[in-house]
Order: sequence, then C-alpha cells, then structure tokens
Amino acid sequence: MYYVAKVNSDMCAEYKCNTCTLYCPEANTLMFNKDGNTSWVDEDRCKGCALCVYVCTDMLDRNCITMEMAGHEE
Amino acid sequence: MAIDIYKINPEFRDIMPKEIIDLEENATWAQNQEKPRGIKELPETKEILEEHSLCAGCPEAAALRYVLSALPKPEETIIVNSTGCTSLMFPHIALHTVHSLFGNQNAVATGIRRVLDWRFPDTEKDVVVLAGDGATVDIGLDYTLQSFFRQENITTICFDNEVYANTGGQESGATPKGQVFKMAPTGKKFEKVKMWELAVTSGCHYSMNMTASAPKSVAKAVREAILVAREIGPTFLNIYTPCILEIGLSANEGLGEMKDQDKDRFASFKHVSPEAEEFLKKCKAEGKL
Repeated sequence: MYYVAKVNSDMCAEYKCNTCTLYCPEANTLMFNKDGNTSWVDEDRCKGCALCVYVCTDMLDRNCITMEMAGHEE
Repeated sequence: MAIDIYKINPEFRDIMPKEIIDLEENATWAQNQEKPRGIKELPETKEILEEHSLCAGCPEAAALRYVLSALPKPEETIIVNSTGCTSLMFPHIALHTVHSLFGNQNAVATGIRRVLDWRFPDTEKDVVVLAGDGATVDIGLDYTLQSFFRQENITTICFDNEVYANTGGQESGATPKGQVFKMAPTGKKFEKVKMWELAVTSGCHYSMNMTASAPKSVAKAVREAILVAREIGPTFLNIYTPCILEIGLSANEGLGEMKDQDKDRFASFKHVSPEAEEFLKKCKAEGKL
C-alpha cells in the first residue's frame, strides 16, 4: 500500500513541457514520450516522493500529476 | 576501458536483464553521437544510473543525475568517491568508480590521474571526484587543498548538505553558524567554511557555489569544470543538496529549500581564471560545450 505519481496524459500533452522529468530524483522513472508529447511514470520505480507534484502544481501551476495508490486501476 | 566493455556477449544476450541491454542500446555514450551529451537527453534515454538506494526525494540523487548526464565522455571517465550517502549510489552507476577511504578522495584521484596520463597519453581521460562536505571540507580538507596546490587535473564536486547526514547528524565544517542537529544539540559556534573561496585562493581555475535547484545550470557547470580540468588545472564545484531528513522536511520539500537558499547562503559564486575563460571560449567555438 503506497502512493505513486500518476500523470494525466491528456492534460500534460497540452503543454510542451518536460520540466518534471528533470527534477525527479530517480533514474528513468519519470520519462517523456515524444510521440504522445506527454510525461509518463514507471510505477515500479517510483518511490512516491511527490517532488513532481510540487514541480507541476506549485512551480508551474499545471496540475497534471497526482499521487495515487499503486495498482489503483487494476 | 573504452565503450567496448559495455557490449554484451552475443551468447548471453537472451538471458541479460532488460536494463543491461538498454544500457548498451539507449544510453548516451559520447562515442556514439556527434553532438555533445547533455541534460536535454535525460527524459528519453537510458541513464547511467540505475535504481539507487537513496531516500525518496533526496536532492543529492537529483544532482547526481545532472552530473552524470553532463559528463563529456562517460566511457573515459573515472569517478572517485568517498564515504557518505554518495557511496550508496556508486554501486548503481555503470561507470568506473573507485571508493576511497574517508577524506582520501583527492589523493587517490591524483594517483589515478597520473597513471592515466602515463598509460594513455593519446586519450582524453577525465577524473572526477564526487564527495560530501564531510569528506571535502572536514576530514579530507588537507588532501583536497593539496591537490589544488599541486595543480592536478581533477574536477572536485562537493555535494554540500551541511551535515554528516549518513551517521545521524553531526555538525561538519560546512554547517552554518547556530544550526542544531540531532548529534549537535548545542548548535554550531563557528561560521560555515567557504570552501569555494578557499578553492580560488588555493589555485582552482574554475570554482562555483550553487544549489541543485536549476538542473541546466548544474549540468553546464559540471561540463565546463570537467573540460577546464582536462586541459588547464583543478576545478571545484560546491553544490547544495540538503539532507531533507536531517533538517526535518518532507520528501517533496527539498527543491523548495534549495530555491530558498539560492538567494541566501548559496548565492551564486563563480570564479573563472583568465586562461580557463579563454579555453572555454575556444571550446564553445569548437562545439564542445
């Protein structure tokens, strides 16, 4: 039972922005998909620090990333 | 020690983990591409770092990503590190790293540098020292400054978290005056050692004080420092990466803390010697930066 970051791809694709991918402290966890123009999270690697939420919500005011329970959709 | 050592034997390819195959195919090695490597590649390529064991949200881990993304030639780089939280992440890096005794990192790097110059006179090799503030400013101050005095071609990067975080929070030379930690309950009585100014006095050609709050400027500084160290002389970078646990912040507050300190204790300081400046201009004209 732990939280991982989840990117709302539809909202994220509106901005040509990969700022969160630079600030994530984990390697190859928050990645950028050039085709869909959106960031995505490798949930197996996410440690749930919510730094990307700080970047997206507090710094950029775009609210595209939320913390959700791991495996929430299954 | 070239890129060939990262190639997988075809016989074993089918049993290799995906990460190792990724490292060969998608990592940005300088030899495989024409343009210089840079932080812009981080979001889409395989990184040289893999699943490190630092705390969630540790700013030091983020800074390490920037440093590794900015190495001009990772396959020809040797990283020397010292005891501390930094030594937790070195087993997870796909480069040659040497773990030295606590504080000995610049002395060990000196030896490596001299042997490399003798053994591979025609190849550009980089020796980078990565250590915490305890190893650089306290225990290893002698070795660090002596390597500057001797004008060794080494890049020294100090991840300054202002405390001995790994051992429970003792005060270090880089702790600011008055700061209280778990193992330093009376508060520090002396001023913080300004290592970046000491580095200039001791003969560094490129010295910088900064926080890790701006990824692109960290990567740029690392790249410039390594190029200057390759040709001209010692370089020093002091990067603020707070220990969020020791100063009592949540996992997502490290970045805000660094942003606050951008204007305070870690206000930007940059010293570039005239010959280094000229060299950097030349590098820029050649497209190396």
